[in-house]
Amino acid sequence: MAGWIAQGKRVAGPREVKAGYVLYAPLESAAQLALEGFIHPANSVKEFIFPKHEELYGYRITGKGIELTEAEPLRAEQVLIAARPCDAAALPILDHVFNWDYKDELYNCRRQLTTIVTLACAAHDDACFCTSVGLGPAAERGSDALLLELGGGEYEVRCLTDKGKALFDGKLQASERVASLPSGPEKRFDAVEVQSFVKQNFDSPFWPAQTLACLGCGACAYTCPTCHCFDIVDEGNIERGVRARNWDSCQFGMFTLHASGHNPRPNQPARQRQRVDHKFRIYPEKFGEILCTGCGNCTRNCPEGIGVLSVLSAL
Amino acid sequence: MSEKPTVAPVSDRHDEFEPKIVAFVCNWCTYLGADLAGTTRLEYPPNVRIVRLPCTGRIDFNLIIKAFEIGADSVLVSGCHPGDCHYTSGNYHARRRWILFRELLQTLGFDLERIHFTWISAAEGHKWQEVVKEITEKTRRMGPYTELYRASNTPPPPLPVRGGELNAGPLPNWGGEGEGALRETCLRLLAEDKVKVVIGYGKRGPVFVTRPEDVEKLVWNDQCLANLTVYLKRKEIRALGRPAIVVKGCDERALVVLEKESQIDRKEMHVIGMACQGMGEAKCEACEVHLPRFADEVIGEADGHPAEAGARWKSLESLLALPVAERMSYWATEFERCVKCYACRQVCPMCYCERCLVDKNRPTEIEPSATGKGNFAWHILRAFHLAGRCIGCDECTRACPAGIDLRLLNLSLAKAAEEHFAYRAGMDPKAEPLIGAYSLQDKENFIR
Repeated sequence: MAGWIAQGKRVAGPREVKAGYVLYAPLESAAQLALEGFIHPANSVKEFIFPKHEELYGYRITGKGIELTEAEPLRAEQVLIAARPCDAAALPILDHVFNWDYKDELYNCRRQLTTIVTLACAAHDDACFCTSVGLGPAAERGSDALLLELGGGEYEVRCLTDKGKALFDGKLQASERVASLPSGPEKRFDAVEVQSFVKQNFDSPFWPAQTLACLGCGACAYTCPTCHCFDIVDEGNIERGVRARNWDSCQFGMFTLHASGHNPRPNQPARQRQRVDHKFRIYPEKFGEILCTGCGNCTRNCPEGIGVLSVLSAL
Repeated sequence: MSEKPTVAPVSDRHDEFEPKIVAFVCNWCTYLGADLAGTTRLEYPPNVRIVRLPCTGRIDFNLIIKAFEIGADSVLVSGCHPGDCHYTSGNYHARRRWILFRELLQTLGFDLERIHFTWISAAEGHKWQEVVKEITEKTRRMGPYTELYRASNTPPPPLPVRGGELNAGPLPNWGGEGEGALRETCLRLLAEDKVKVVIGYGKRGPVFVTRPEDVEKLVWNDQCLANLTVYLKRKEIRALGRPAIVVKGCDERALVVLEKESQIDRKEMHVIGMACQGMGEAKCEACEVHLPRFADEVIGEADGHPAEAGARWKSLESLLALPVAERMSYWATEFERCVKCYACRQVCPMCYCERCLVDKNRPTEIEPSATGKGNFAWHILRAFHLAGRCIGCDECTRACPAGIDLRLLNLSLAKAAEEHFAYRAGMDPKAEPLIGAYSLQDKENFIR
């Protein structure tokens, strides 16, 4: 890691930002990397590819018209280290939506410049459910390299892509030891059943019954590795400013509020249903994949203990 | 990740630096005072830009913040002398707000030497001249305000999460006591049709029990953290009919404030108070309301363990002990993690506006972006709108997925309210709301 930092790469990974609180954050030294004492950082790695705030271009209003200035292209390579397999798996899923009707250059550029080194999970908690969405504690999807703990500070390194190979080129030693595969959480629900349920139960009393406690914050969506909605805003004064995109969440009342005052999703149960519907029916129907990797962040971060798992367990 | 605000390089030669000063003045006194200074040919530095408002009582605190954001090096706020207000009492209201606002800014690490308050009447052209001269000179000496929203390279020392030595160990787990009595009470209330829904705690979070046979879903243990009073204002819950609500002593303070602010009618609900031994949260160390005081019925008995003396302000005091630039650096580092999910707002029983100021975009008052500037603006807004209203349930801090210690901001305002006005939100149902009332005796030693 120190070598990558010395090469000028931006390195990010789990870091104890304050006592007992681990987030994926930029790392300035190898010592800052946190590897134990937590199940999953409270955020996801998506913010290093699709940041919470990103300037698209600048503008200046002059007497003659409007001058536009392009955002600086990204050049710095980054390495995400000790990412959870559920976080890494989210990225190929997100690639679909950022390259569907429009190729999002900013996203693609960051994606290309990023190498993801995942660390297989040795532990899981009640909120984890990767096995219910077809993944697991050592899932390789989306990773450039996967590390499996051998004990004694040693890891089995599986280089899965050219990027991963390049990153570890000349740094590995052959070993007889083979890591044992960690066990994952028990399967909690069947994703296909969920898909057919949400399809047939749009107006079911199930939704209000399960999600009445939802207060409508965006903690679930903002800490989710796959939620990707954004809002475009202009920020500036009468002369100049920037057009930027910020994360947005379907849990906010204003997300679907029409100019007329009508809101097609008038309450939290409707918004929670949308979240499940989008993840388990809309996205699979359009792109062939579930928009959920079972990381459990929505459940862990919900102040009222809701989240995808709580809702779907009730099914 | 958000970018740090760009900072202009400090000029080595201060004589090259021309301070930018923004003055927010009232239309009736100070503006006329400044006008008089001009018409009587009194010279004063041209560094001051005057923004005229109807009354000091109408000066939004966001304006002061905004002035600094767009490059002011000092800010002056000025209005009519006490007793002179064109609208009778606007300046008294303003004075009370400034007292509290200064404390918040102090906690956030703003340089209070750059914020000035004065009373200048329409006849005091000389005073205006003097004040502007002095502020300009002082600002010139201090140099440009480059510390705003700046995180230093060395991270600030970690603050004790749970009040220093009190960090020793978590409170012992408990649970179950009173659970049976709670279920019985709720069963009776629902069966007798006294209430239509019980808002209580379930295994995984809040539950809304509408049928007598479901009372088994209710629990009472050291995981009952949420302040359920937030649900009383919600349409979906209101639609269920007359509620019974389970409250702890701390949550109950929210009912007092909400009733005072005409948001709820206590006659329209049944309040079940639970004696609480503490949930192991920071707030519990200094808790003085283990037993709800105004509930329709109380289940359990207080174990009588007294609050830790001095525990209430402990974490705040360690923050305030830092030098001013480090305090700002602390918050800049904390706020950098803010993603603006607004969980802090949504869980707050006091945040009941139909449309939050931060959601208004014509014009945009608070930048919606989760950047340094936008995050400071949001957290200042949230904290100050709760001045004299926050009951210290710490739900904002518990809900924050970025782990920001928002309670410190609330504590700083609670401390100010107590020290300057002997006021504690939600403790005394008879007390006049802090903001909205004023006293002729409010301290004004910081106003010139």
